Amino acid sequence: MDSSMTESTFPTKPKWRKVVYGGMQPGFDDNHADESFLEDMVTNANVVKRDMLKVMQDSMSISQYLCIVALTGLVWIYTLRSTLNENSLLLLDVTLLGLGFLILLLTQEMLSLNLLLHYLLNVTFFTTGLYLLAPIYQTLTRSISSDSILAVTVSLLVLHLFFHDYFGSTVRTLGALNNPTLTSCISLNASVVASVFIASRLPSTLLVFAIMHFSLQVFLFAPLVTYCIRKYSFRLHLWFSFGLMIVTLAFVYALHLFLFVMFLGLLIIVTVVCPYWLIRMQEYKFEIHGPWDEAKLCFDIID
Amino acid sequence: MGERKRHRILMVSDFFYPNFGGVENHIYYLSQCLLKLGHKVVVMTHAYQNRSGVRYMTGGLKVYYVPWRPFLMQNTFPTFYGTLPIVRTILLREKISLVHGHQAFSTLCHEALMHARTMGYKVVFTDHSLYGFADAGSIHMNKVLQFTLAEVSQAICVSHTSKENTVLRSGLPPEKVFVIPNAVDTAMFKPAPTRLSRHEIVIVVISRLVYRKGADLLVEVIPEVCRLYPNVRFIVGGDGPKRVRLEEMREKHSLQDRVEMLGAVQHSQVRSVLITGHIFLNSSLTEAFCIAILEAASCGLLTVSTRVGGVPEVLPDDMVVLAKPDPSDMVQAIKKAISILPNIDPEEMHNRMKELYNWHDVAKRTEIVYDRALKCSNQNLIKRLSRYLSCGAWAGKLFCLVMIIDFLFWHLLQRWQPAEDIEEVPDFVLSHDQDAGISPDNKNQSFR
Repeated sequence: MDSSMTESTFPTKPKWRKVVYGGMQPGFDDNHADESFLEDMVTNANVVKRDMLKVMQDSMSISQYLCIVALTGLVWIYTLRSTLNENSLLLLDVTLLGLGFLILLLTQEMLSLNLLLHYLLNVTFFTTGLYLLAPIYQTLTRSISSDSILAVTVSLLVLHLFFHDYFGSTVRTLGALNNPTLTSCISLNASVVASVFIASRLPSTLLVFAIMHFSLQVFLFAPLVTYCIRKYSFRLHLWFSFGLMIVTLAFVYALHLFLFVMFLGLLIIVTVVCPYWLIRMQEYKFEIHGPWDEAKLCFDIID
Repeated sequence: MGERKRHRILMVSDFFYPNFGGVENHIYYLSQCLLKLGHKVVVMTHAYQNRSGVRYMTGGLKVYYVPWRPFLMQNTFPTFYGTLPIVRTILLREKISLVHGHQAFSTLCHEALMHARTMGYKVVFTDHSLYGFADAGSIHMNKVLQFTLAEVSQAICVSHTSKENTVLRSGLPPEKVFVIPNAVDTAMFKPAPTRLSRHEIVIVVISRLVYRKGADLLVEVIPEVCRLYPNVRFIVGGDGPKRVRLEEMREKHSLQDRVEMLGAVQHSQVRSVLITGHIFLNSSLTEAFCIAILEAASCGLLTVSTRVGGVPEVLPDDMVVLAKPDPSDMVQAIKKAISILPNIDPEEMHNRMKELYNWHDVAKRTEIVYDRALKCSNQNLIKRLSRYLSCGAWAGKLFCLVMIIDFLFWHLLQRWQPAEDIEEVPDFVLSHDQDAGISPDNKNQSFR
């Protein structure tokens, strides 16, 4: 740099300062940069050190939900094949509803009769509405071929899984503050449309009602129930996930060997490979902060 | 020292008069002072409404308002190659020796610099703003900047913080980046002829009322200061989406008689607003340089500012009180400013500013950068492409492709419209006396 040349002409060299006023600093060119250059730069200030076990445990929520959706798919398949009849489906609905309520009531701190009544009233409305609408659902897609419907349903389920909010619940408990995000709403709607499509391929109105009731229960309330379990006890959540995984794998195995291998692979990727990959990727993390960043306000702006 | 080399400079930016702002001011004053130093300066910008074609401004500054319509925030639509013919024609007509682009988000500047490089011209780039590294917008801008700066001969930044930022964003070696600040026309910003009384302390705020300028901080700070000091009054100049919030705050704390909202202030009116106050308050959340502080200091106001970006480098410590961008710290800073206010002499402050900042000094320093840029060696296309290739795995190849197409397009143009066919503009020397300088009166005349 030229500053070293001009240095000799100034016997008492004034110190270079990091200021821009007062014109060119004597003895230094405008492109001078001393050791204070970039000293205010902070790298990777907000990076969280992740450890493998923790990430694997967190990924359990995803595999758990994958299992729930897989089980729903299995119920759909068995219903379409007429292996499950109306009575067993209705029994399943009632059992799931009762279990869900039980878990919700046990895990929630404030157990009140009022809340229970509120929930019961809602469920009654929901069931009645569904029963009345069932004939419409049944004939909804009569003019469309089953192949197209199945293809669309599978795509909608993939969309649902892609956008699903795995760590919250789109349907909130009473008094929850946060509004659901756009993506979680898209996800929920995709799953509801998928259920309607499947239901529309069924032969009887009661069957349509039963399958719709089942699907909506799962897609609307299963995230809420698992969320409550996770909030209540993480250990219970882990055991519950494990149990669910084993049950699902067993059922899928009974259905088809190839699907079993695929599903097992998917679960392994989600719980083992992806966390490992994430940890490895952390090495490449490079965040830069410095005085050029826009300052963040330390208070909330209420409009 | 023999005859100084005369440069023929083309300034390119989307931002120029009649638009107002830091960049516009910078280009205008720098051009005027370079003209005074005997260089030839031509400005190229896009058309503003019906202002299209060639115009002359004070001191024979020629401005090309290229007929491209702005599409977003005064920027032209990025077409990559659409501007090549007109840029080439201007470069040849005006016998330009060096192209100087301004502002990182001016598409016209990026395109012109690319074409100028293709045609073998030396280019200099001035960055006037700061960018983060986190959001998608910044990542995109940083890549564009990397492309433009990959081959720039020299770069200029307005503060040391801005230089650090630019070096990080573009990967340029630090010795290629010069720090040359903005300046202020001290003749235009003189303090009030009579000193204001101290019975009532007036705090002036002039800024666009938007989030980035910290309008939300003002909403928190103003009522608190009014509560602490019954003799303080605020004058808020500027307009923007956050004006409603400030007005709500005024209603809520019933400060209608103590907080005056002026709305948008014309740049020519800024001085008359500034001289009615004692303290200037700047609440920006990010700022590469902040000319507003200079204008206020030149009018003899004590400045209270947030310590963000390049602001701490702008004024000596005894002329400014800095605070963290948080309401309680800013109230403390205003307290401190009010306590040292009796020691401030506006006239003395103005005289100090005259010595600290001067556009002629800026022009002389920029001239050195131009000399350096012209000394850089020429490179052939292959060598230049290899530099683009190193910009990134995907981006590098993309950049190369863009440059190769530009090169082919340029050769096609040379066949289609040979350089000999383009008429050169005769130079004329304006016999201006040195005193009829760059004062605002002359400048305004050129608009009307």
